[in-house]
Order: sequence, then structure tokens, then C-alpha cells
Amino acid sequence: MKKVIVHPERCVGCMQCMAACAAAHSRSKSVHGAVLEFPIPKPRIHVGSGIYGEGFPNRCRHCDPAPCMLACLPGAIYRDDSMETVLIDPFRCINCASCAMACPFGVIRYHEDRAAPPGKCIAVKCDNCLERQLQGLIPACAEVCKSGALRFEEPAADLKDKTDEIARRISLGAVEGDFAHAPALALLNAFKRAQREVNERRP
Amino acid sequence: MRYVVIGNGIAGVHALETIRKLDPNGSITLVAGETFPPYCRPMISLVLDGSLTEEDLPVRGPDFYEALGVEAFVGEHVVDLDAERRVLTTDRNRNILFDRLLIASGANPRRIKAQGLELGRIFFMRNQMHVRDMIASLDGVEEALVLGGGLVGFKAAYSLMKRGVRVTMLIRSGYPLSMQVDAHAGSMILDELVKNGLTVRVGAEVIAFEGNGFVRAAHLEDGSTISCGMVVIGKGVRPATSFLRTQQIAVDLGVLVDERLQTSVPGIFAAGDVAEHYDVARKSRWVNAIWPVAVEQGRVAGMNMAGRDVSYKGSLSRNVIRIFDLDVLTGGLVNPPDDSYLVLTRMDPRRRTYRKLVFRDGRLVGLVMVNEIEQGGVLLSLIHGGHTLPIEGEAVLEPSFNVARLFPHQRGFLQARRTGK
Amino acid sequence: MSGNESRFERQTITKDGQLLLRKAETDQVETAWDRHQAQAPQCGYCEMGLSCRICSMGPCRIDPFGEGPRKGVCGADADIIVARNLGRMIAAGAASHSDHGRDLVEVLAKVAEGRAPGYAVRDAEKLKRLAAEYGISTEGKTENRIAGELAHAMQEDYGTRKERLQLLNRAPQKRREIWDRLGITPRGIDRETSEMMHRTHMGVDNDWQSLLLHGMRNALSDGWGGSLIASEVSDILFGTPKPVASRVNLGVLKEDHVNILVHGHNPIVSEAILEACQSPGLLSLAHEKGAKGINLAGLCCTGNELLMRKGIPMAGNHLMTELALVTGAVEMVIVDYQCIMPALGEVAKCYHTRMISTSDKARFPGMEHREFHPESASETARGLVEEAVENYGRRYGNGVYLPVKPVELLAGFCVESVLEALGGSPGPLIDAIKAGKIRGAAGVVGCNNPKIRHDHGHVTLTRRLIENDILVLGTGCAAVANAKAGLEMVEASRLAGPGLREVCGALGIPPVLHFGSCVDNVRILVLAAGLANALGTDISDLPVAGAAPEWYSEKAVAIGTYFVASGVTTVLGPTPPVTGSLNVVKLLTEGLRDAVGATFAVEPDPEKAAVFIRRHIEGRREALGLPFVKV
Repeated sequence: MKKVIVHPERCVGCMQCMAACAAAHSRSKSVHGAVLEFPIPKPRIHVGSGIYGEGFPNRCRHCDPAPCMLACLPGAIYRDDSMETVLIDPFRCINCASCAMACPFGVIRYHEDRAAPPGKCIAVKCDNCLERQLQGLIPACAEVCKSGALRFEEPAADLKDKTDEIARRISLGAVEGDFAHAPALALLNAFKRAQREVNERRP
Repeated sequence: MRYVVIGNGIAGVHALETIRKLDPNGSITLVAGETFPPYCRPMISLVLDGSLTEEDLPVRGPDFYEALGVEAFVGEHVVDLDAERRVLTTDRNRNILFDRLLIASGANPRRIKAQGLELGRIFFMRNQMHVRDMIASLDGVEEALVLGGGLVGFKAAYSLMKRGVRVTMLIRSGYPLSMQVDAHAGSMILDELVKNGLTVRVGAEVIAFEGNGFVRAAHLEDGSTISCGMVVIGKGVRPATSFLRTQQIAVDLGVLVDERLQTSVPGIFAAGDVAEHYDVARKSRWVNAIWPVAVEQGRVAGMNMAGRDVSYKGSLSRNVIRIFDLDVLTGGLVNPPDDSYLVLTRMDPRRRTYRKLVFRDGRLVGLVMVNEIEQGGVLLSLIHGGHTLPIEGEAVLEPSFNVARLFPHQRGFLQARRTGK
Repeated sequence: MSGNESRFERQTITKDGQLLLRKAETDQVETAWDRHQAQAPQCGYCEMGLSCRICSMGPCRIDPFGEGPRKGVCGADADIIVARNLGRMIAAGAASHSDHGRDLVEVLAKVAEGRAPGYAVRDAEKLKRLAAEYGISTEGKTENRIAGELAHAMQEDYGTRKERLQLLNRAPQKRREIWDRLGITPRGIDRETSEMMHRTHMGVDNDWQSLLLHGMRNALSDGWGGSLIASEVSDILFGTPKPVASRVNLGVLKEDHVNILVHGHNPIVSEAILEACQSPGLLSLAHEKGAKGINLAGLCCTGNELLMRKGIPMAGNHLMTELALVTGAVEMVIVDYQCIMPALGEVAKCYHTRMISTSDKARFPGMEHREFHPESASETARGLVEEAVENYGRRYGNGVYLPVKPVELLAGFCVESVLEALGGSPGPLIDAIKAGKIRGAAGVVGCNNPKIRHDHGHVTLTRRLIENDILVLGTGCAAVANAKAGLEMVEASRLAGPGLREVCGALGIPPVLHFGSCVDNVRILVLAAGLANALGTDISDLPVAGAAPEWYSEKAVAIGTYFVASGVTTVLGPTPPVTGSLNVVKLLTEGLRDAVGATFAVEPDPEKAAVFIRRHIEGRREALGLPFVKV
């Protein structure tokens, strides 16, 4: 089954996935309409920044077993086995934040949501865009990502790509993390690293 | 294989499910004092405060035992366990033989010594029945007295306040939840509660209750009197071990278990609030009587009982508490015992946040977060894993901290990082 | 609380900055540093210059991995998009300086017409010198008539009627020939900016090299046009700077005085405020209100303008503007334009401080707008100062926090005052350079940027340069940074290498010369041109370099580009958004050497930037046949 696979090394930090995610979970399904809705839809994917200020698309891994699911007091978090997706029942959720303690990736947020009774804050996280997938669409984050950081693909195919890539590098004697195929980003990263080193230097 | 599980709390429930998953044919028997279908104990205070009803409490359906093929004896308490003869006896004189036994009998409220405890409307708050009784007697109660500022006392006070009852809380330390939080977060919690109408008395103990059938007032050792139409005793819990023969099974505060959650007797396991295993942050034996630990231990014990060898690394104390406009998340050693620990804190009045990190030998061992708690799980998993921080501890205090900060090696950033401190 | 101090030390090297950051946190004031952190991660497409918002077929972006889109909807590739974006940055920067200059020319014109009663020609000699440069005969003409004709001639420089800007004549012959050969001789100040906007419109100039060449022309229209006019006309109207002692950092604010800060860039407003602050009526009102006087201090470049000519103290540079309000000691901030963070109005709400905007073209949330016009500037200024005095009594109870002592500095350096210090001719300076006592000179200029530890880039680079006998000329926020670090007092020559120390001692000057505001970068150019002319060579042959270790603004991009296009190799601290095109990067850092004899470099580490500059300067010395060392 195809899944959204994250390639964090390709994230350029544009946050388009966040906007697309919020829009995908809005009534209007468009960024322009979504910002006028109440409650305002919020993203389930969160682009964090690493220590060099580089982007990192932080998305629910839909773990199995899922620590959030085991920690959930009211049993609101459940797994849809057919879609390999961990979901939250907005009616059962009591917004206790027990899942905040459990999630080792910090991807769960707490706020009002279109799916919940009005005025009720609930735990909200990635649902793999099941609504879109039922319509034959791919998850919104992967659809908008132009740098290949979020791809909707077969895990096996991705593993093969990664294996091929490593083999290629070894045969070329390339340095790990050397972005020969993306010199623009490599250059930017070099400057960011230098910048951070200066800023971290003790006065 | 005859499996027997004592207790239908969440540890017992997970053990039953795990055993059944791994051994579809074994005979499984449950003995439990609770007559309700498995329900969520930590949520009973939400029934008390009126935000949930009893129907919201069950975590498994009424046909749970039947569907799992478990023979359940509910409403029965184990009164004796003969580990040598591998048989237990219930208060209905039922003898049950076992090959593998799980003790998941939970914990009982600690009792107090005072005169007049027999009066009406003096409660513990441990189970669904307690809360049902409390709600039934709420009518006309305007003032309540809560003894203890631990989790139970705090939850009782908070729930009663939300019901419009004026609450006085008697606590020993200067702030509530002193086992869970540090002084700073404690004072923030206290301020929030007091702002919302709680009265707090520090250091005083009740020596007697007075009333006419129902409690009307409490007398304190300092000579003062507090009028109260209801009393909740929340002075902590004790592992429920009274039915154990301590000459057969090693019991300290709780039942001692090894890394497979097996007691000193082969084939007898313990999990949840009754079990004394190992605290990964304290690096010592400890009973962490909290829901997520009971879940973990129930699963691990179940696996080992069913023949799958799994070891349990240890538990970590942790809690998340939401009080009016305050979210508090804590874990591990929040109040380090000596100054060999490195403590980093940051208050940010702009964001109304507070963060405290406790390090031992470059490893994170304790955490307090007030507000903006979404990244708490990332840090708790660091504590649990016992890893050194790949970044400076300071960086974790930043509001922008997120899991990406822990992967400095991605994307070609190859520079070696200083270890956390 | 452990942890916080080192965090503030990471944000700024300045003591006043660190202490006020702590107070800002307590006072719940959000600063640029907080907002910078909240922005992380910043968009990589934009950082690389790979996003294009120019037209409505877009917005577009180019995948740096080459698998997603490689062209915008119009077909522009990474090279074109990066070059267009850079071109528009230059245009915005040039427009800012040049529009600032235009406002000064308009005041000069109104002075000539007698319609600007608060202003006058203060340096008639300079007026005549400029008139002569513009070919205006001065014989038998009144000052006002000359002023009117000069203003008119300068306005022509802004338009399209000329083929080349007048003041280009100051550049060495060889330089002008290069510009002509490359076709980048600037024609009209507004024209080049306007043409840049045209060229970067969809479907116009889609040759990235041609776009970058025009970028240089556009920048030159600033450096030898708009900025130069701004600088020169400011001298005519307010006086040419002379060495003047003053003080710097937040310690210049006085607890027992009415404190007024001017912030922005143009001296038109701030000079009027200064006059009002000195009026006896308002001073006695201040005494009545219990204050010991009225204390005017500057922020950013409008402060530098007053400092250079009047010795008015400087409260701080760009990243100190919010923190200045956090002292709780500021009665009023009067702003004109450029680099004024729109956050300031919000910060001021936490204190009694009143925020006043004065320019029709620069308005801000949370500020009261009191528009300044040359016709009524004096009255407006007096009215505002009176209101500031009234506000003295409204300071918040526990508010005032002035934890540092000010630092002394000697400011007021410019081409004229340097020549005067040298005894009237550049000869002694040239001799010192030839002898190797001074290895060369570097302009350390530019802004502050929260990406970089505040002032660390400026001060570290400057220290390393003077230690190695390189004379540093500073402007803008860089000059203020070095002043706060104590490098602009005469005694700082003890930190210089032996040769520079000797020269500074003999002349009685600091090793770091405060050359004014950011439009005054042209003074550095003019000085370099003068040296080149005296040596009969080109600017690019001189042992000089430029650096902008903490730049943030589009103006800095224009400045850097006119430095390089004029032959001054320039090192940037923060990376400009060009890495998306390696062709553009290569041209800027290597290819330009063949075209204009100078290049850009990017070096976030000021230690390494210093080495780069030393190597460059020694290389130039070698080429000139002067004694040199291998770096």
C-alpha cells in the first residue's frame, strides 16, 4: 500500500504542506476559503526547524503499536488496520493530553476542529487524508511538496531507491550527506552551518 | 495452560488481551473486585466534575470477557494465594488453580487516623463506585474539605470546584502535586487554583470530624475548625498486597518483579500499581502507579506469561494535568535530590510558559513543562531511552524545540555535536 | 534562573542589549529575536532565491533537487529567477537611498525659494563646489540662486534627460571606461530603477547575465547618484561633518532628563527636532516639569546624521531600537523612514513612550502621524518636543532601567575632515600605505540581523582588521557597533597593529573612523576614488575592501553591488538569496573579477572574513609593487 514517506533531507522548509494539510481538513478544501472558517482549520503536519534552521516535516508515523493509542485514557485513539492509520475519535477524546506524553515525535496538537462538537477542544493529528484517499486523491502534503520531501509511494520501492542511492554513493566514493545532486541546497546548508558555528562560539 | 489474572484494571485488561492473542487455546480466568466492565480509573474525576457521565468510562465493552474467552469472577476478592500449591482463594471460598498467575490487584487508598471517620459524606476517591456515591450526596453540599494535595486530592478539589462547591484543601507541602511538580510549577498551579476560588491550608492535620450522621466540620490539630459538608481523603495509595503470603513472595512496598515482570516465584507475575519494578530516571526500585505504566506492564507481563520472552526496561513517572488555563506536563526526577544534577530552567512570561530540565551525567532525567506541552513526549522518550542529548540542553528550552533538533546529522550537517549539558 | 544569561549572550555581545533583553522578557515585550525564532524554518526556496512571485501565472518555485519543477510557468529557470529576484532587491535598495536623496534636494530647492524657513544653506563652500561640478557658474549669484540651480540640476540627474550622471566624474577615468565598456554607466537615478522593474517583468530581460549587469548599473545609480546626492546635500543643508566627540549605547539616556529619540535615516526631520530641543522656552518647560533638561539621542542612521554633524549621542543601532523603549526612559520616538520595525508601536504600548511618524510615505501601526513639511518643520518640531516634555511625568512607576554607562567615541569623519586631519592632502595617507604602516583600508558597513549575534560580526571583523594595520571606515549600524565596543575612540589605537597605531597616534584619530550613515557609504567610495586618482590608478587596484558582516536590508544589497561595481571587493556575512543558481553565484564571486576587477564573497565567520580581506589587500599591494606579506 502506498504511504506518505518523509525524506527530511529534501525539505526546504517552505511549509506548503502545512497550508495544504489545513486546507484539506477544512470545509471549503481551499486555502483561501479555509482561512475564513471557524474553527480555523489547522495543519496536522508540522514543519519544525533543526538546529541549523533547516526544515523538517514532522508527520505522524502511524506507529504500530502506537504509544498514543496505548496511553489514551478514554480509548479514543484507534487503528484503522485496512489503511494502516492511527485515528482519533473526536467524540470520545477528552482532551486530556495523555497522548502528548506518549508521542515521541510531538505531532499531536490540541484545539477545536471541524470534526469535533462545536466548542470542544480535542487531540488532532494526521489522518493520512483518508477523506481525500476515498476520493482517489493522494494526501495533501505529498501532493503539494515539490522538493520530494513528502512522497506518496510504495515503501518497498522507496527502500529500493535508498539502497540504490547508497550503492551509487559507495561506488562513486561520495561523502555521506554530500548533495552533489542539489548543489544549491548544499551551498545554502554550508552557509547555515558556518553561521551557526559562529553564533555558537563562546564570546 | 491455565492462566489466572487478578484484577481488571488496565494492567489486567492488557494482560488478558495479550495472553489471548499469543495463546488462542489456553484457559484464562479473571478474578476482580470491581463489578463494572473495564473502565478508565483516571477519568472518574471527570464524572465527578460533570463533564462526563458513567457511560463514558468503559474502555472495553460489556462482552469483553466473553469475546476473549475469559472466565470472569467479578465482585470477588482474592483473600489468599498459596504460591507453592499454585492455588488462590476468593472471599466466596472459590479455589482457583493456575499455571501462570498475574497479580494486577492495583492499589488501595491510604487510610488516615482521626475520630469520626464513620460519619457520612467522608469519601475516598479511587473507583467508579466512590464517585457515584459522592455525586449522590452532593445535593446541598456547599463546602468541601479535601485532605491531601496529591493527584487524587487535586482532582477531587478541582472537580468539586467546577461543581460550584467551595473547597478547602489541606496540604503538607507549600503547593499541591509536590510529588509530580517542582516548587515553581507548583506555585503556578496553586495560584491558578486559588484564583479560581480554592482555599489552601498548609501543614495542618485533621484530628477529628464532627457531625450528626453526616460530616459537618473538621477539627485540626492546631485547634481550628473547618466547616464542611463533604470530605475527600486523598492521601495517596498503597499497593494491594494484603492477600499475599510474604514468606512465599517477595514484597517490598509493592510486589517485587524482575525485568520480565516475574515475581520471586516462577510463573507468578505482577503488573500495574501493585508491582515494584525499576524507575529509569531514579535508577532504583520504584512503584509508578500510573495508567500508562500499567498498560506497558500488563502487555509485557502478558507476553511473558504466554511464553514470549520480553524484557521491560523500567518505568518512568509522568503526568499531564490541565487546570483551568494551565497545562502541566512532568516526568522523571523533577526535584533532584542533590546538587550533582544539572538543572536548566526558563520562564517566559510572554508565552506564560515554564520549562525545567534535570540532567544527570549529560542525560535528561527529569522534566517540567507548563503550557506549550506538545513536545513533552519527545523529551519523555529521551528520558526513557536514557540517551545523551545530541544538542545542548539549553536548546531544549527554546520555544521552537522540536524533534528535528535531535537529528543534527541529517541533510549533510556532519559536524560532531557537543553532548547535552 | 540559570540558562537565560548565556542565551542573551548568544543574542548580542552588548551588555546593554543583554540586560535589556532580560527586561524585555520580564516585561513581556516581544523582540525581533523572538519573531526570528518563530519564523524557523525559513523557506528554503526563498532563501535560495528560487521562488518567484512576479506574475500571476505563478507563484512558482524551482526544485533544487531537479526532480520537481525546474522552470516557472513562464519558462524561467533557476538562473533567471534568481537574477530577477536579486535585480529587484537592488532596485528597492537603490530606490530607498535615492528617494531619501530626492527629499533632501527638494528641501534645498525650497530653501532657494525661501519656502523652508527652518532650513538654510549651512555649508556655502560645499554648495559652490557642487555647483562647479555640475557646471553651474556661481559668479555674482546669491547662495539661494545657486542652491536653486543646483537643486534643479540634481533633479535632472533623477530624470531621463541625461546620458550619464553628473557625479560619475569623481570616479577614476579607468573605472568610467570599464562602465562604458560593459554598458553599465548609469543614466538617470530613477531611470535605472524603473528599468530594472521593467526588465524583471515577465517576458522582458531573460538573460541572467544581462540582468545582473543592469543590477550593477542600477546600483551605480545609487552609489554615484542618489546616495551621493543625499550625502552631499545633507552637508550643504546641515554642515559638513568635522571630528566631534560624543557617547554611545543606551547609557546615553538620562533618568532625570526628557529623553527623545530620533530614528530613521533622513536628517530633515531630526535636525528640526534638534533645534527645537535646544529652544530656551522648551528647556524651561522641561525644568518646570521636573526634568533637568531635554536629552536628544539617535537610533540608526538618522542618529548617525546628527552625531556626525552635531555630536548628538547614539542610543543604539538597528537591533537596539526595540530595547531602547524597554528602558522605560523614552518620552518620545520620532521616526522618518527606513529600517523602522513596524513592531515598535506595539513595544511602546508597554511603556509611556509616544511614537510619532513624520513622513507621508512611512506610516506604522501604533504610531501617531504628524507629517513634516519643509514649510512648517520648525513649528511641528517644537510642538512635538513640547508634547514629549509633557510626557516626562507619565513614566511608569518602576519603569526606568538604564544599567550601563555610555562609551566615548570620536565621530564626524568624511572625505573633507580626513583630508584636513592629513593636513590638506591625501599624501600622508598614501605614504603610510606605501610604507606598509597601513596595509590598506576596509569599509565595514551595514546593518544588524537577528541571524547573527548582534554586533559580533562587526566588532570581531573590525578588531582583526585593525590588529593587522588595516584602517577601518565604518558607517551605519556597523559604525555604531564598533563605537559601542570602544573602537572609535582615539585610545582604541592601542588595539591596532604597530603601524596603524603609530599613524593614528600621529594624527590623533581612532583606528576605526565613523564615516556616517548608510548613504554616507559614498564618502568611502569618493575617498577611494580620490586615492586612486592621486595614484593614477583604478579603485580596483587599491588595497581596499568592503564588508557587510550583519547586513539585512535591500539597501545593503545595492550598496554592496555599487561597491563591487566600483572596484571594491566586498565580503557579506549573511548569504544573499542567490545560492539557487550556481551560475549567478559563480558570476558574483568569480566572474565579476574579469568584468569590474572586484567580486563578492560570502563568509559568515568574521574571523575568516578578516583573513579573506587581509589576503585580498596584500594581493593588491603585491600587484601595486608595494611591500606585502603572504596571508
